[in-house]
Amino acid sequence: MTSVTIAPGSAESTAAPAGAPAASGRGRALGYIARKAGLLLLTLWAAITLNFILPRLMPGSPADAALAKLAQNGPVSEATKSAIEAQLGVPTGNILEQYVAYLHQVVTLDFGVSYTFYPQSVSELVSTALPYTLVLVGVVTIIAFVLGTLLGVLAAWKRGTWLDTLPTLAGSFASAFPYFWTALLLLFFAGYVGRLFPTSGAYGPTATPEFTIGFLGDAIYHAALPALTILITSLGGWILGMRNTMISTIGDDYVTFAEANGLKPRTVALRYAARNAILPNLTSFGLALGGVVGGSILVERVFGYPGIGYLLFNAVTNQDYPLMQALFLMITVSVLIANFLVDILYGVLDPRTRR
Amino acid sequence: MTALLEITDLSVDYGEGTGSTHAVNHVSFTLEHGEFVGLVGESGSGKSTLGFAVTGLSKPPARIAGGSILLDGVDIASLSTGELREQRHGGVAMVLQSGMNALNPVRSIRNHFVDIFRAHGHVARADWGSRATELVGKVELPAAVLDRYPGELSGGMRQRVSIALALSLEPKLMVFDEPTTALDVLVQHAVMDTIIELQKKENFTALLISHDLGIVLESAQRVLVMHEGEIVEDAPSRQILEKPGDDYTRMLLSHYADPRAEVVELPGFEDRHRAPADAHPPTVSSRTRRKDQKAIVVDHVSKVYPAPRRGESQVTAVDDVSFTLEPGQSLALVGASGSGKSTLAKLITAVEKPSSGSVRFGDLDVGSLRRGQFRRLHRDVQMVFQDPYAALNPLHTVEYTLTRPVVNFTGLKGVDARRRVLELLDTVGLSPVEEFAAKLPHQLSGGQRQRVVIARALASDPQVIIADEPVSMLDVSLRAGVLALLEDLREQWGVSLLYITHDLLSARVVTDNIMVLNGGRVVERGNTAEVLRNPTDEYTIRLLDAIPNPGRQDVA
Repeated sequence: MTSVTIAPGSAESTAAPAGAPAASGRGRALGYIARKAGLLLLTLWAAITLNFILPRLMPGSPADAALAKLAQNGPVSEATKSAIEAQLGVPTGNILEQYVAYLHQVVTLDFGVSYTFYPQSVSELVSTALPYTLVLVGVVTIIAFVLGTLLGVLAAWKRGTWLDTLPTLAGSFASAFPYFWTALLLLFFAGYVGRLFPTSGAYGPTATPEFTIGFLGDAIYHAALPALTILITSLGGWILGMRNTMISTIGDDYVTFAEANGLKPRTVALRYAARNAILPNLTSFGLALGGVVGGSILVERVFGYPGIGYLLFNAVTNQDYPLMQALFLMITVSVLIANFLVDILYGVLDPRTRR
Repeated sequence: MTALLEITDLSVDYGEGTGSTHAVNHVSFTLEHGEFVGLVGESGSGKSTLGFAVTGLSKPPARIAGGSILLDGVDIASLSTGELREQRHGGVAMVLQSGMNALNPVRSIRNHFVDIFRAHGHVARADWGSRATELVGKVELPAAVLDRYPGELSGGMRQRVSIALALSLEPKLMVFDEPTTALDVLVQHAVMDTIIELQKKENFTALLISHDLGIVLESAQRVLVMHEGEIVEDAPSRQILEKPGDDYTRMLLSHYADPRAEVVELPGFEDRHRAPADAHPPTVSSRTRRKDQKAIVVDHVSKVYPAPRRGESQVTAVDDVSFTLEPGQSLALVGASGSGKSTLAKLITAVEKPSSGSVRFGDLDVGSLRRGQFRRLHRDVQMVFQDPYAALNPLHTVEYTLTRPVVNFTGLKGVDARRRVLELLDTVGLSPVEEFAAKLPHQLSGGQRQRVVIARALASDPQVIIADEPVSMLDVSLRAGVLALLEDLREQWGVSLLYITHDLLSARVVTDNIMVLNGGRVVERGNTAEVLRNPTDEYTIRLLDAIPNPGRQDVA
């Protein structure tokens, strides 16, 4: 019998080149970030351009609408017509010049004057409303994600016990309520009947917005009910999402093998099962973060909270085109940026994506 | 010296009460210090359940229903969770069946070792790096793998890493549950060699669980044969091989043979050359039954895939291959994974287009077929897939699965289509046909599923069947039946067969001619029996050497 010796491992050692991992690893990480950043710029450009093209594809213009309204009361003079056009900004020049001017406006954050809150500029309105929404919805979204994920981990690890059934049941129950219904219930019981919290506004009638302990305390006090509403309705989703993915990672071979190797239960739960289960949830977190800037229209409306959602509601009901356009653009951009950040985070957390 | 492991009257049940099933049924055996023992059984025999019970990893619904597992005199079942965890250092370690997935994809290999060192505190922090390097060295891996992530390693390397991790526990007993099943033949052989050497050097006791009697007989000193939850034979390897005491063991053994032997016979298969000369006429007559018999002509075909990642070179999967598959002929396409054999199948079925060269079926140029013209080809050329568990839609009954191609390819409708479906089931030996037609895939065994897959391929009355590893997922006792069916189809119906496999033994019994592929190139071709008996290419010889062969073992 012919015998041929096979060097052990020879068959598989060619599969992965044993290069210097540290140096190439950093280069690869930078390449990954650069690629994602390039993709972000491309989608940003596409979103901004769409925002330019779409209104121009629609028939009529805000000026036409205003003039048509005036024309019902009698003839409109040339002077009135050009005054209205100048006021509402009828585009001049060819499409390319308009595009360049538009890009310039976007970069300098010049979105014109609001119709509803004339003569305030759109940028002014947005920059006043943005902090309230960012703090209220942003902070609550992060809290809900962290708290929900932790509860989900606990529920999955102790599945079948009360630590599983209680948060799971309560979570699905609470998230089954519509947003505004929870808001109205809280408003009625904690605000109106219990008089524990104010029922509307972002700060008391006597306070002026400034960076002092007193004002911040007042602002937090006012934000309590809307914050609670968002927390109650969104927490369940995070708990269930994390619990379900983690239950499937607990069944994975690397978790069984980790147990077979006698790792501490805490290590197995957090670094093996939860660490892998959190990855798919990051995508939903990115979407939720992107949605923060859009505000929670219903919640802000119910509580009369002067954030972006409230502003958007006003803009839509009053046909305030400049304000709407700026807000829609901002929402799009923040969704894109949030997704970019999550992509980067993914690269840090999951070596498989760093290729 | 007392036994290391003493199992007495052990039963493991799934579920409780009346609905429970005994996966392990009153099993008793012992393992002495330093022994290498094999545990053999087919799927469903309870061998993995037993392995998990021994390592204290049984999870609901599995439940130890009775008996004791004494490791060094201590009953594993009586330990608390904490004690069980602590005894894993210096106790029982396990290497899992699908070791490919046994590593945490987001942790580097180094951290896997660190986690174990930290959990048991048996290695001083200052020595973590050197100990990890030493351990991966023992499984013949370079220290550089420590800084890699599991996804960057090949299957064989990952399995070596899990062995090193288990070894880092300094165990008295190592349980290997199908450690090489998912690996390629050559890699499988190399990993088994490492396990055998390690066991001698490190002097742990080894329990090797496998469905492959060949692998077990080659490495173990003693073999336990498990069947339907019971141990039916417990004897030294040599005795199992020479004087098997149980019918089941004899049945398992009968499915092994050396493909190099002069005469190769398996249950249901006479040696091709000893078959009487007049056995072939039926083939000829059935061939003449068909009006147009066409050959598949593969002419200087290459397939090049673009580089998988930037900066890497392109992949040549098939490199200048030519052959002709004559009507009624059977040709084996043999090679390790990555040798290009499945790509060739894709080229012939027009799933992929060749980069150069041509594939012709009769007057049909397969490579230039456009969407919509595939039906002409697929009426005559059909595939049988490797995994019968994944090839059938679990929501459809057998009848529905078979009716689709019958309606699509033959135009039969209603009662006629149903008659044809039942006929097909009869052809593949699934009777009573009416009963099988109504079944869903999960109600069938693996072998029965593969028969349904074959029946589906036959629905269009094809001239050529391309079978891609049709029996590699099946238990040995079921393999022979499926192979015999393929052989029958060729003889009775004149169907030509392209048999793709890494299993040289099955190639020997069902094919006339063979082609050995390595790195996309044909390295050897000719009459199957002649090539396997007198291989000339080094790669063919390596493939032949890698086949576990019970008769060749030198472990006493």
